[in-house]
Amino acid sequence: MAMHAERSAALHELTSAPIQHAFNPYEDNGGTILAIAGKDFSVIAGDTRQSQGYSIQTRYARKVWQLTDRAVLATNGFAADGNNFVKKVKQRLEWYEHAHHKQMPLKSIARMIQTILYGKRFFPYYVYNILGGIEEDGTGAVYSYDPVGTYERESCRAAGAAQSILQPFLDNQIYFKNQTPEPGAEPFIPGNLPLSTVLALVVDSFTSATERHIEVGDGLEVYVVMKKGRPTDDLVGEGKLAPGMAVEELDALGEGDGEKTFLVTRSLKRD
Amino acid sequence: MSIMEYNGGSVVAMVGKDCVAIATDMRLGQQSIGVAHNFEKVFPINDKLYYGLPGLASDVYSLREHLRFRVNMYRMKEEREITPKTFTHLLSSTLYEKRFGPWFLEPVVAGLPAPTEMEPHPKPFISTMDTIGCITTPKDFAVAGTATDKLYGVAEGLWEPDLEPEDLFETISQTLLNAVDRDALSGWGAVVHVITHDKVITRTLRSRMD
Amino acid sequence: MFLTRSEYDRGVNTFSPEGRLFQVEYAMEAIKLGSTTVGITTPEGTVLAVEKRVPSPLLESSSIEKIMEIDAHIGCAMSGLTADARTMVDHARVTSQMHAFTYDESIGVESCTQAVCDLALRFGESVEDDDALMSRPFGVALLIAGIDEKGPQLYHTDPSGTFVRYDAKAIGSGSDAAQQSLQDAFHKQMTLVEAHTLALKVLKQVMEEKLDENNVQLAQVTREHGFEILGETELKQVIEGIPA
Repeated sequence: MAMHAERSAALHELTSAPIQHAFNPYEDNGGTILAIAGKDFSVIAGDTRQSQGYSIQTRYARKVWQLTDRAVLATNGFAADGNNFVKKVKQRLEWYEHAHHKQMPLKSIARMIQTILYGKRFFPYYVYNILGGIEEDGTGAVYSYDPVGTYERESCRAAGAAQSILQPFLDNQIYFKNQTPEPGAEPFIPGNLPLSTVLALVVDSFTSATERHIEVGDGLEVYVVMKKGRPTDDLVGEGKLAPGMAVEELDALGEGDGEKTFLVTRSLKRD
Repeated sequence: MSIMEYNGGSVVAMVGKDCVAIATDMRLGQQSIGVAHNFEKVFPINDKLYYGLPGLASDVYSLREHLRFRVNMYRMKEEREITPKTFTHLLSSTLYEKRFGPWFLEPVVAGLPAPTEMEPHPKPFISTMDTIGCITTPKDFAVAGTATDKLYGVAEGLWEPDLEPEDLFETISQTLLNAVDRDALSGWGAVVHVITHDKVITRTLRSRMD
Repeated sequence: MFLTRSEYDRGVNTFSPEGRLFQVEYAMEAIKLGSTTVGITTPEGTVLAVEKRVPSPLLESSSIEKIMEIDAHIGCAMSGLTADARTMVDHARVTSQMHAFTYDESIGVESCTQAVCDLALRFGESVEDDDALMSRPFGVALLIAGIDEKGPQLYHTDPSGTFVRYDAKAIGSGSDAAQQSLQDAFHKQMTLVEAHTLALKVLKQVMEEKLDENNVQLAQVTREHGFEILGETELKQVIEGIPA
């Protein structure tokens, strides 16, 4: 009781000064995203778990979004910001289509995302983005961002909770880091791997991340964007995918210029 | 500032078929400053048992001497070599003695137990523990140090069961190299030891020096 | 208040009972007083040609600027109150640069033209208590020439903010006769050199003075070199090639 009295006296003294109540507008909702570029395709993947601290909010929350017939965006970080960011990007894409009578090219989406992100330089979207798709010259591309819009075109990138788990693995398997070709053999060229290899690496990456990171798991969504005219027989057809995986072709969003987008799904461990 | 990240450095151990491997980077730093590139963090107990001590560099020296004393005492009293499992527990209890003022180290142990009458075909052994000696004995690989996350990722992707010594060497080397290349506090060269029944293969690896 | 017909001349945004905006129509008249300007599209690129009226021998003819660059791949020629065109070209330039900055690609010719026309319509507009930024319609018409993924293009804009695409177009004082000549001589497979010659030939027909390298200006937009105003030697060469 005495202690209580003492405290209230101290409290009384404190109240003479203004008390500031801080509101934290950000949250980390976990999860991980990953994208790998091929010669004429691009693969963009993300898990579907959404968490808040040690609690799972949902086992299915979308983090990867089809933007156009040749662009797919993966967002990671604060889900509310991510969802609103995607909403804004989609709106800008529609405006562009109305103003310029064409779907926005990938490199233009890439630049636009930078300007949108940097536009909120002093109250940023707490989102790490990875943009994947097909460039105007038909090559597969991956663009990665930081929350304020620094961006770069790369052959592959992982982001999110398990970035530190996945990136060195991709360095090794996609960029062939610390590997030397046999004497006389062809040099390694990043971004040239066949789709089946890339898909296997993506699945391995996510099962690894699921195994070692509590915020990764539940489900896996892999978007595959293919250049126009590219054969699809290495993805679609009996026995092309590992057991437990399913693939569906997504409808064209625009005129249907010939690029194809597929969604490959698979479950991940739920523990 | 975390004391565990003051000097930097990482260690990884892996189980193979009738062999184990343990590898370390060679960096010694003071936070972001690189100080030495010959700072090995893996030491032998005998030619069947090695251990690594990533963490605070001063504690690496002290605990290493402390353990040398205790292992020698064990050897003299018992008149036999210490087994990997026993050594792990020796290490663990040594760490737990300092429960409330711990050694800032996360040891990794790798060894091939000698065949005994009770166990003619002992399994290769690895273990790791936290700073106060809580043991884990994985069946596949153990990682520790500032590149822990990265090591887990690559090891999880590259490791497979029953690797022969040469394949195990390649696997652990690639794992360590690619992990430390993404860690600012680890790297600056590496050393790999592959322990087999008839020899220990020790190789120094060249790596990125940035 | 009784409104006479002439009352509709006052407000720039007031329709007459017949549905006309007199100020806009008068602005169109201003263009008919301007010097003749010609544009021709070919598969290789688009050509712009203007007459420079030099009223005095003391006037430095090179200071008359009636063809301007908007972006590396878009240029424009003007007729009418050329001072008004500055505002429009400035706007077009800013829009083009903004597009390149935001989208990492050069702006489309049509989009650029649209941006100019958006501005052309904003006369008499004001925000709450602020004064209107522009009090009257622009008194100038533009021929906007450019090249993009859709190929070489030519657009005509007028003070009403309307824009139309042409294969070949003439504006200004001699536009009626010039347009007729263009219609007679133009064909889709014209080469760039043919277009140069035709443009000057058409100007020559409608000019009062004798055409020379000092009283005309010629520019082109090609895929290879983008927008460029032809230099004196090139211009002389084209003039020499005009059939007598």
